[in-house]
Amino acid sequence: MAEMRMIESGRMGRVAYARIAPNEDLVSSVEKLCLAEGFGHAFVRGALGSLVDACLERADGSCQVIRGPAAEIVSLAGEVRSQPDGSLRAALTGVVADTHGHLYGGPFVAGANAVCVTFEVTLEEWLPSPGNN
Amino acid sequence: MVEKLMGLPRSRTVVHPGPFRPVRIDRMRDQKGRHFRLSLPGGRTLHESLVQALADEGVASASMTLIGGELAELGFCLALPDPTGRVLATYGAPHTVQGACFIFGNATLGSSASGTPVVHCHGAFRTADGAVRGGHILTDRTVVGRRSVTAVVTALDSFELRVVYDDETRMPLMRPQARRIHG
Repeated sequence: MAEMRMIESGRMGRVAYARIAPNEDLVSSVEKLCLAEGFGHAFVRGALGSLVDACLERADGSCQVIRGPAAEIVSLAGEVRSQPDGSLRAALTGVVADTHGHLYGGPFVAGANAVCVTFEVTLEEWLPSPGNN
Repeated sequence: MVEKLMGLPRSRTVVHPGPFRPVRIDRMRDQKGRHFRLSLPGGRTLHESLVQALADEGVASASMTLIGGELAELGFCLALPDPTGRVLATYGAPHTVQGACFIFGNATLGSSASGTPVVHCHGAFRTADGAVRGGHILTDRTVVGRRSVTAVVTALDSFELRVVYDDETRMPLMRPQARRIHG
């Protein structure tokens, strides 16, 4: 098993804001935003919007579906990491409200969270120090 | 080799009333964000305090995280299917609750077409009876209570966030735009 690095030093770089349109997938859109802006690693600094239905991953790997439309993204935290093969992976986790205002939380399943009306996201580029590797 | 996959539901999509807009990601970039920490005081609305504090720093567009605090009065609404069918989803009637604990939220500061500041905010809160709820926070109807609300702000200086009418959804939505020339 590869040794896990506990700490990575670095600094924040550029900032990007995007509005994602209806029916686009939440997770892959954040990855595409990074590809378009040339960000290798990034943190989500702010995000809000709505999903057609929200799909959160349960501990056993199954999906918890919160029926909309619209399921509101109340808060979201996440990061995008560059993979060894050069691809990007976004890991997004958050809290969503159903149409009654009840809350649910967990990781957003890639490919299963379509934007309903709009999704606004701000990313800050993370620039790891060269000494990390 | 055949891999066995966990069955994921194909996500349901929706049909909006207007024409499909080919651009799916509207984006703009700043070389550097400016950062601020705000402490939003009791007795004033979230909208008033956020807009004024940031305007004093020359900030018209920003993305922020709101942390904790007490709300003397909280205005919010929920996203519901539009019964008239004019748009796909709309906001229901405003709800008002007295005395709530704000858990956290995210907000965007931008401006309307005429230049008036607009705050779009979603958040989670706990009401006086202990129920935990969330939704679209009406910042101009939300008054901070005895404990202030903290805001961690990333200001966007090289472009603007502006609410423009979106033909596809038939709703006014925040989008990044090139800065207008002032004066």
